[in-house]
Amino acid sequence: MEAVNLMLWTFDTLLGLGLLWVAWRTLACADLFKGIVLFVAFGLLMALAWVRLDAPDIALAEAAIGAGVTGALLMAALARLRASETDEGSAGQLGSEGSDAEPSQWLPVVILLVVAAGLGHALLSLPPEAVGLGAEIAAHLDISGVSNPVTAVLLNFRGYDTLLEMVVLFVALLGVWSLGREIEQGASAPGPVLDTLARILAPVLILVAAYLLWVGAHAPGGAFQAGSVLGAAGLLLLLAGWRPRADLTARPLRLALVAGPGTFVAVAVVTLLTGAWLLEFPPKHAGTLILILEATATLSIGVTLAALFLGGRPRHDQELR
Amino acid sequence: MGAEFTFTDIPWGINLILVPLAGGMVCFLWPRMAKALGLSSAFVVVLSVAGLGWRMQGYGVYRHAMGGWGAPLGIELYADGLSLLMLAATALVGLGVSVYSAGYFEPKQSARFWPLWLVLMAALNALFLSADIFNLYVTLELMGLAAVALVALASGRDALSGAMRYLLATLLGSLAYLLGVALLYHGFGSLDIALLAERVAPNPALWAAMGLMTAGLALKTALFPLPFWLPPAHASAPAPVSALLSALVVKASFYILLRLWLEIFGSLGAGVDALLGLLGAAAVIWGSLHALLQTRLKLLVAYSTIAQIGYLFIAFPLAAASGVSAWAAAAYLALSHALAKAAMFLAAGNLLHFGGHDRIADLDRTVQRLPLTMGAFALAGVSSMGLPPSGGFIAKWLLLQAALAQGRWDLAAVMILGGLLAVGYIFKVLGYAFTQATVLRESRAVPAGMEWAALLLATGAILLGFLAVPVLALLGIGDPFGTGEIGP
Amino acid sequence: MNTAFLYALVGVGLFSLGLYALIVHAHLLRKILAINVMGSGVFLVLVALARRSRDAPPDAVPQAMVITGIVVAVSATALALTLMLKLSGETGRAELPDDRRN
Repeated sequence: MEAVNLMLWTFDTLLGLGLLWVAWRTLACADLFKGIVLFVAFGLLMALAWVRLDAPDIALAEAAIGAGVTGALLMAALARLRASETDEGSAGQLGSEGSDAEPSQWLPVVILLVVAAGLGHALLSLPPEAVGLGAEIAAHLDISGVSNPVTAVLLNFRGYDTLLEMVVLFVALLGVWSLGREIEQGASAPGPVLDTLARILAPVLILVAAYLLWVGAHAPGGAFQAGSVLGAAGLLLLLAGWRPRADLTARPLRLALVAGPGTFVAVAVVTLLTGAWLLEFPPKHAGTLILILEATATLSIGVTLAALFLGGRPRHDQELR
Repeated sequence: MGAEFTFTDIPWGINLILVPLAGGMVCFLWPRMAKALGLSSAFVVVLSVAGLGWRMQGYGVYRHAMGGWGAPLGIELYADGLSLLMLAATALVGLGVSVYSAGYFEPKQSARFWPLWLVLMAALNALFLSADIFNLYVTLELMGLAAVALVALASGRDALSGAMRYLLATLLGSLAYLLGVALLYHGFGSLDIALLAERVAPNPALWAAMGLMTAGLALKTALFPLPFWLPPAHASAPAPVSALLSALVVKASFYILLRLWLEIFGSLGAGVDALLGLLGAAAVIWGSLHALLQTRLKLLVAYSTIAQIGYLFIAFPLAAASGVSAWAAAAYLALSHALAKAAMFLAAGNLLHFGGHDRIADLDRTVQRLPLTMGAFALAGVSSMGLPPSGGFIAKWLLLQAALAQGRWDLAAVMILGGLLAVGYIFKVLGYAFTQATVLRESRAVPAGMEWAALLLATGAILLGFLAVPVLALLGIGDPFGTGEIGP
Repeated sequence: MNTAFLYALVGVGLFSLGLYALIVHAHLLRKILAINVMGSGVFLVLVALARRSRDAPPDAVPQAMVITGIVVAVSATALALTLMLKLSGETGRAELPDDRRN
């Protein structure tokens, strides 16, 4: 077993160093496009790290949201940024993206080293045995309604945090909609490869999302992972030029966006009205309730992520009517 | 819950969170009803805080275990006198700002404002009620993103760059805070503040956590030397948003810092409270001097916020010896400043609406033409200067007493100097408001609701000067400051 | 045990690298990238330290915290990017005007 341990340890060390190196290159790279591509690679390396740390749920979420959606958002933003800068007719502007760090600034480096050293020391002073809530979770898992401990924590034990987190997504969308421009219906026609790819992949992604949602109760998966895969399907369709029908972009879209947090609040109110604590699920129905909450959350997360990618309000939005 | 459903069984605390949340989402679904929904939500929140206060007077501290799971597995809500005071500040300022906003925004902006504002209100209430350090992180982020989106409602490069700077600062602060949460959890095994308070023991992890969380929260509270993000954001946002930011959002991170300090970090003490006091003193002087130098009203008011926040931090070194008085003074100041600063920003908004600009030198006889607004500004100024009778006076008097009792002449001198500088910049504004401008401009009428909202909030700040005894009694519920009594 | 501390130290390194990049670079897209890297660092610390004891039951609370954190990070990134685009549309440059921090 020693050889396996040594191999794993080498792997971990290489992965750790790789993470640091890719992060450094991402941040110091002169060309922003390369930087974003490196960032996506960084996200995938992080997913590997999560697997090594026995956190497959996070690995799924990191790959889908951290690398995938965030990478797409960054690319789209860079494209729009460059488009607006060339509109100004300033060819020299591209140089402004260049790495503008002045290496002679010693103060930030000193701060950096002090912070890193202090934190590292604090970290290493922690006892080698973990003190956490693992035992507590294991003790209450059977009445939580699911057997995946992460889902149990997210949707039952600390469901209140998840409710607030859904609202965070909602607020981000509110902000983007009030800032962004209006999106015209009917974007440019995609090439045949993208078009075919979207037609084939989108249904597959939707199926994968449904699977992840269902399986999240007893294996790695769950609402966030499923929602982000659904969002990825939406992103793909948007990239391929698809836009929803005009009558769907008003009230139905808003309903879909609010479905997740709204259902959470509704369930919370119901639990209060029955005289229990807020969001207290009776063990008999906990599994069903969690599935309902996760389903609406998946829908909302997927639609929100796709809407965030679009970056603006749909044209026929009913805001002004 | 009991067999009979009595008045006290209504979960007032939960109302404070769920009602604005639901209201915000419904406003998003039906934008035409946004204004009516927003106003009613604000009103319900005020009623709920009153209900909560009434319940706490009878039954003591309010607790609610989310999901039925108490700590350490789940999240607990917890409200004592300090939380109640902050919730009351949120509810009152919230109502005033809601009434003001009903008249301020045109329909398109209005549809965007109300959902964001209601979610912000829910986030603030959730923050003041939370007793779990990770839950506090989520509420902090929710609050921060909503606030940034609200600042960016005002188009124009100042508002946008102010919002961007604010967003970056708030994200940095939150990440530092979260790293502290990680160290605390892995050092002591819980996310619940009460449990952590029992378990902490001095070790490098605790020191690092304290440093990180204090730095992160101080950045979010715009403590000197990091207040760079506040003036642009608060000054260029729409007036009601500026009021919310200066009055409430900035206090939220201070509240968390205070809570953590009282429960977990205070026993470490050492040089940190002296450092915070020093930075607070620097903030008072720096902020007041800059306020005196400003030519635009909203920037003046924003720098005044930085100065007043400095007073809050002066309480840290004073509390070591005089204990409860200094903390009570800080809490009282937080409440009075919330009302007074909101009134000031709303008044500034009225002046902006009226004349189309907020240059102090060109305030054209506004005392005669907008008496209600100038009255509001004057009354708010009285509280900010710390003159009697006002809430600000009581708070600063308590602080000054504590300083003198401990022989801290330096802090006392700083406070007096700060007061004098405040007199300077308030009277500067009032002086120009009496005189005629050199260039006359066309003016627009200001809706009555906007003027009255400002005036009533300012009156509230003054009234606090007469309500010291009952307010301090409420503050003592649950003994937030860890010792026996509170009183001047 | 060693694995846990290794990844936690990597997390600290990422946090520090990101902080440095945030302070030093002026271009807003770089600052946003820096914030994301810092966030990943904090998440690594959160989960890695939970793996200190390999034989104990898995601690799902830090994992749930990180999933929440990832969602918060993507929300904040989306808002920041839109804000950056609007700002650069108004001023022509994706930088904060007179960026003189520290």
